[in-house]
Amino acid sequence: MSHVRCHDCGLVSRPPAGPAHAADVRCPRCGAPLHRRKPRSLERTWAYLLAAALCYVPANMLPIMKVTSLGRTQADTILSGVSYLLLHDMWPLALVVFVASVFVPVLKIAILLGLLLSVHRGSRWRPVDRTRLYRITEAIGRWSMVDIFVVTILVALVRLGNLATVEAQTGAVFFGAVVVLTMLAAEAFDPRLIWDRSEARPA
Amino acid sequence: MSADAPDELEVAEPVVTTRRRPSIVWLIPVVAAIVGAFVAWRTFSERGPEIEIQFETAEGLEAGTTQIKYKDVEVGIVEEIHLRDDLGGVHCKARMVKGFEPYLNEGTRFWVVRPRVAGGQVTGLGTLFSGSYIGVDPVRDGRRAREFAGLDTPPIVTADQPGKHFVLRSRRAGSVDVGTPVLFRKIRVGEVVASELDPSGEFVSIQVFVHAPHDARVNSGTRFWNASGVHVSLGAGGVDVQVESLASLLVGGIAFDTAADSTGPPAPDGSRFTLYENEAATRREVYTQKARYVAYFDQSVRGLQEGAPVEFRGIQIGEVRDVKLEYDAETQQFVIPVVIEIEPERIENLGMVDPVTRREGFDRLVEQGLRAQLQSGNLLTGQLVVQLDFHPTAKPAEIVWQEPYPELPTVPAALEEITASVQQLVKRLEELPLDEVMRSVNGTLESAQAALAQAEQTLASAGELVGPDSPANSELRRALLELTDAARSVGLAADQIQREPESLLFGKETQP
Repeated sequence: MSHVRCHDCGLVSRPPAGPAHAADVRCPRCGAPLHRRKPRSLERTWAYLLAAALCYVPANMLPIMKVTSLGRTQADTILSGVSYLLLHDMWPLALVVFVASVFVPVLKIAILLGLLLSVHRGSRWRPVDRTRLYRITEAIGRWSMVDIFVVTILVALVRLGNLATVEAQTGAVFFGAVVVLTMLAAEAFDPRLIWDRSEARPA
Repeated sequence: MSADAPDELEVAEPVVTTRRRPSIVWLIPVVAAIVGAFVAWRTFSERGPEIEIQFETAEGLEAGTTQIKYKDVEVGIVEEIHLRDDLGGVHCKARMVKGFEPYLNEGTRFWVVRPRVAGGQVTGLGTLFSGSYIGVDPVRDGRRAREFAGLDTPPIVTADQPGKHFVLRSRRAGSVDVGTPVLFRKIRVGEVVASELDPSGEFVSIQVFVHAPHDARVNSGTRFWNASGVHVSLGAGGVDVQVESLASLLVGGIAFDTAADSTGPPAPDGSRFTLYENEAATRREVYTQKARYVAYFDQSVRGLQEGAPVEFRGIQIGEVRDVKLEYDAETQQFVIPVVIEIEPERIENLGMVDPVTRREGFDRLVEQGLRAQLQSGNLLTGQLVVQLDFHPTAKPAEIVWQEPYPELPTVPAALEEITASVQQLVKRLEELPLDEVMRSVNGTLESAQAALAQAEQTLASAGELVGPDSPANSELRRALLELTDAARSVGLAADQIQREPESLLFGKETQP
């Protein structure tokens, strides 16, 4: 129907018509697999998104790190850490942690969910804005890892025996999984699908 | 197109079925779900029961941080702390570990372990750095409970220590406080766990704990007494000073001892005992049976104190319990009812122990003259004792069996004594053999007269013998005259010799 550009060598070819995923279509020049849209994009996005949503619950419920200082042990979840920072008048830091660790993952999951639903419904509503949303999702994804980095650095650095010890907890694993899964979901989603539907069925 | 049409009809569209197996990517949410479910299951299955503890203050407690520890093992964590609605304390919601349910019973106690200096002991120093935690003393038996009242201070004795609790009842707490040692032959074998006012307000209930194996020494014959300080008593028996060890002088103490002949089984946990004021009181009150009587005296009872002995012929059989003053409006007289307490067991073989036979026995004794009487017990201090004795001559009376105490008849003290002695005097006078005495007196007088006559005769004869014209007299005179002559011649001779000493040799010269 239309031309396809090879991802690897950039050759533009014209694959035979038919279901895009039915056959193994290859680039005539470099042999890379050719596809008009990311294969099984929606399916994969759904899977990743679901997994991320599932992991998000324990990531917030379980403590992400345990600080033992002078025999006093304190286990913190993400939200208790934020409230701790707020209590101690460190609101800029609290804001950073809140945005990076709570707001961004929720935002990503929400945007992807919205995009998936709109594609399924074949919505033609503001495709430009929706594409912009997708780009934001892709861009901010990695910043959620700030939390994980902080935990890993603390665990590695704060090893002062009885004085202070920091241990990573299960929550951190789930939180890392959320970040990775949302990034994968964003990567699996093909924004061209937004345009496919709005172009395919002109009014 | 029309020519092509049949062709197209003939050539059937092949059925293209693409068997789309679900993408492998679906494994990811499945795995995430499984892991999440597992973690959730583990978290929830490890959750123990939630309990609620009430404390006076949440000092040192922190939600989500403060642990509940038993023998330094974490058995729970405080999850929530909030004020009670009436601001009278704090509620602590705590999550115990799984498997601790059997120990959460009514007797289980919680307290906050924080640095404390009390009773010369410093405890909980470790919590200076680690922060306070909640201590628990789990109890296995009892009804299940989920709400507890936290203790203000750590308990002295925890449930895991072998031994027994006993409850002592006392009129007042004295110097007994929580932690006061319990001594057995001056060796510390336990301590006071609690001391609180009886609901009636009349007694102080003192809970003591006696450690194993000494708890086996406590049986029904055991007496506890207050071994604190110095005990000085001034009674009818004189001055009595008792001093326990110096340690008990400082910190107080409760001592106990078991009568040697008391070989009953060890007393069960929670047995009740009386706490006596001192060791002497325990000896005094080995007799468990007490019978109270009232005796009305109408003379002064000055010197009669509560606790004064009630004696029967000098042997103590009881004590004075109460001395009051009553005014009888009808007769317009003052009477003094004295309540005495007799320990019937002190009297052997009288059938006094059984109340029914005791009543009969007392009736009979009073019939025979048993009366109560005030007597001086100590001349120095003027103490009085109540003396029971038989006064067969007293006016007949009988016991008035009334409530609350039966009334014993009395005899007045001084008057009775005087009457008795006068009676004795008269009786003795009556018994004198006056006739015989008179007869013998008569005889004596007669013989005396005879003797006198004889004496007269003797005197007369003596007079005759030495009379003025008796021969003896004249002869005596003559002898005297001769003696005078002799003396004169001797004198002459002497002169002669002086003058003429040679005359001694040549004799008197004849005058020429």
